[in-house]
Amino acid sequence: MKADVRGKNPSPTISSMQNPSLFTNSRSSISGAVLTGCLSSLDGACIEKLLLHCGSALESNDVTLAQQVMWVLNNVASAVGDPNQRLASYFLRALVSRASRVCPATMSFKAAGIPHRRLMSVTELAGYVDLIPWHRFGFCASNNAILDAVRGFRKIHILDLSITHCMQWPTLIDALGKEPECPPVELRISVLSWRPPTPPLLNIPIEKVGQRLVNFARYRDVPFEFNVIKVGGPVEEEETVVSSSFYDFLLSQLNATIVKVNVDEALVVNIQNWLRYLPDEETSLSDSSCDGIMSYRDSFLELVGRLSPCLVTVVDEDCDLGAQSGLASRIVSCFNYMWIPFDAFETFLPKDSPQRIEYESDIGHKIENIVGYEGAQRIERLESEGRLCRRMAAAGFMSVPFGEETVKEVKALLDEHASGWGMKKDEEGMLVLTWKGHNAVYAGAWVPYAPAFHQNNLLV
Amino acid sequence: MNDSTASGDVSSGNQATPPPKSIAKKKRNLPGMPDPDAEVIALSPKTLMATNRFVCEVCKKGFQRDQNLQLHRRGHNLPWKLRQRSSKDVKKRVYVCPEPSCVHHEPSRALGDLTGIKKHFCRKHGEKKWKCDKCSKKYAVQSDWKAHSKICGTKEYKCDCGTLFNRKDSFITHRAFCDALAEETSRPASVSPPSPPSPALSPPPPLPLPSEHEDSTQTDVVSLALPDNNNHVTEILESAKPDSTSGRVLEETPLMTNLTSGSSSNGSSSSNVFATLFASSTSSGSFQSQSAGFSNLFQAIACPDPMPATAPSSSSEPVALGLAVNQGSSIFGTAGQDHVQYPPAPPPSLSATALLQKAAQMGAAASNTSLLRGLGIVSSSSSPSVSHDGASLASGLGLGLACDSGSGLKELMLGTPSIFGPKQTTLDLLGLGMAATGGSTSGLSVLMNGGLDVGRDFGGQDIR
Repeated sequence: MKADVRGKNPSPTISSMQNPSLFTNSRSSISGAVLTGCLSSLDGACIEKLLLHCGSALESNDVTLAQQVMWVLNNVASAVGDPNQRLASYFLRALVSRASRVCPATMSFKAAGIPHRRLMSVTELAGYVDLIPWHRFGFCASNNAILDAVRGFRKIHILDLSITHCMQWPTLIDALGKEPECPPVELRISVLSWRPPTPPLLNIPIEKVGQRLVNFARYRDVPFEFNVIKVGGPVEEEETVVSSSFYDFLLSQLNATIVKVNVDEALVVNIQNWLRYLPDEETSLSDSSCDGIMSYRDSFLELVGRLSPCLVTVVDEDCDLGAQSGLASRIVSCFNYMWIPFDAFETFLPKDSPQRIEYESDIGHKIENIVGYEGAQRIERLESEGRLCRRMAAAGFMSVPFGEETVKEVKALLDEHASGWGMKKDEEGMLVLTWKGHNAVYAGAWVPYAPAFHQNNLLV
Repeated sequence: MNDSTASGDVSSGNQATPPPKSIAKKKRNLPGMPDPDAEVIALSPKTLMATNRFVCEVCKKGFQRDQNLQLHRRGHNLPWKLRQRSSKDVKKRVYVCPEPSCVHHEPSRALGDLTGIKKHFCRKHGEKKWKCDKCSKKYAVQSDWKAHSKICGTKEYKCDCGTLFNRKDSFITHRAFCDALAEETSRPASVSPPSPPSPALSPPPPLPLPSEHEDSTQTDVVSLALPDNNNHVTEILESAKPDSTSGRVLEETPLMTNLTSGSSSNGSSSSNVFATLFASSTSSGSFQSQSAGFSNLFQAIACPDPMPATAPSSSSEPVALGLAVNQGSSIFGTAGQDHVQYPPAPPPSLSATALLQKAAQMGAAASNTSLLRGLGIVSSSSSPSVSHDGASLASGLGLGLACDSGSGLKELMLGTPSIFGPKQTTLDLLGLGMAATGGSTSGLSVLMNGGLDVGRDFGGQDIR
């Protein structure tokens, strides 16, 4: 839903075109419509058009057109306006930094003119993830699915690959603490020492977070262990961009030995808003076990399958911004997707709420990467639900529908939030969080096909 | 899949097309997305606020809802044909809000049922008559008030630190990480580190420093240039430290205050980066003039509305500041080890004004000048871009294009200040003036006149 920008006063100097014929550009045939008319009834559809034109212009190297559109967008965008205006301001920032970049090849995506990314404290982060159900939806669905899948096991090992610094686990630990089993179920959580460089950012290292979880688990009488798997940062210290050699390294590190898979443990791989950071460009990998072209994302999933987990939960954002999308279509898809959280904030937070602004600028950071960069530097490569399902199937997984209890829990969770949030369950058994009917976040659960499928690759 | 080009209509599939007749269960349209075939009804505010809209024709008794009225009418033992409702009432109705400034005033955003529009109107545009006695919340719609009263104060979770939560999972998550819990339990020993953290990867002490340190200069420097890699944090902090004083000098400069509004605004961080860069190669004596030159430059580029001193609202400035900041950061990125050293090209005593003039001279040799090259930053690290004169602007834009009429980003930047308050000195500094580029004058003047058609096809082609 695109809100109307009503009553917005265009700048007084914007009047009707004085000399349309002067505005000659070999590509454009601009007719006599008045800018004032457009601006006064500017809505999301208009902004989307502007962004599309800008994207096409950049794609087709039409510099003049691009900067003209940016100029107009500059007049429309406002960081304190309505959701469309706020969103447009972040898009404009990303487009400008893209167009003005000098050396694209070696730029760090963080170095553009984005606001200072504040490092949050762990309690602030706890509040951040619960501001809207964006993350909590995935947490709730995954945790319930995990509890269902590990029933009967005495030991659980969760390999946690996420960007929210273990915010998911207190509720799981709490749920385990409530189980009246004796002896209690033992839980072990492993995380990687590397994390995609994206907000939300924490001011303490993951080891300290783990320490607090250990505290909490002790308080809830749950035997608990926290491991950090050292996979190293980017290979060269100066490299701020994660190169393909890093992914090679990462994939080579994730084997059963380093992950410490034990046969008496139920292994769960929890991938929350993380899969999208693995490159999905299809390249032929020299050491891939199967013939043919695979991306790092596919290789990673195969690797996970080889670990023989009893459940793989994947939560991510439902939008297609992968390697295959061109700039213009990416801009439009991104705009039509990112308005969802912006609109949600508009509904129940005031315009100057610091939490809202922080959340929005985190999204702005993502937009900056999605729109402003290409190739290896564009790390935010979102994938829609449908594509992910096909990818999982191709990697040898079959989907596990969420149980009735899980669905009920998630529904109860959404009832506690503002009324625009909804949920739907698709035929594959995945759950999708919706805002005013638009797909926002999906959650799914899979198991690998029979171990024989991966037999020859077991325990590298 | 995501049909992203259909603006505003991406949904779960029950919006853009009318629901097929075969569906037995009545589909509920979501708020703000009405059935396109429905009849749009606009009721007056008085009607919406009225409580007893449905009146029995027999005894004149009023009811809030139609179905209640029907139930009541049965009691009158009406003859058969009067008992039936008129059959032409089947047509679906949607209702618009009578308040013109409301988003639901537009027919395409009408709400689906009468109760909904009544509640909406009361909530948004009505007086809040119902007040919760436990807390201070007020409601315009009675059912909202009732719903709130049920849960107010009932399910409340309180953490030891004093924070209240009304949802269990947010309470649990908070509690797990709360300092209160950490203090309550003894320090744990059961964390099993797989190996002693190597110096390269363990979080070095300086990492918490930015969040606690009062000096926003350092914090901003750190955040701007760095990835999440701890080593960079260490290095940058160490090299940035000597410049912190000059950073403070910069902040006190009155000319720069409009850019350094807010302690953590992007404007301050970017200008501080520049301060740091220049500081390392200049004496603080010439600092004032440098910052003055740069502030003029920034003002020329930046958007006209000076935003109030809050971080997020300075986004209009960073739009263009982002250009400048990029250059500073490109040093971080491309110069490798030389984090804070300014590229060697300009001698240390060169002021910003002189730099720009020099850039103009350099630019005159090429077919055009870009502001970016004009800052002399490109020359240090990317010599190929200087050698290609035709493609200089293009590589300056990072697009790798062949440049056309010499228009480009500079027009964006020049065009804007021309409209919003020209700074002639700045334009001259760039050595361009208004008449310098013949081919682009027309574009420039059109920009100045603000003539730009946006609503139509841009390229004469339907890009969609």
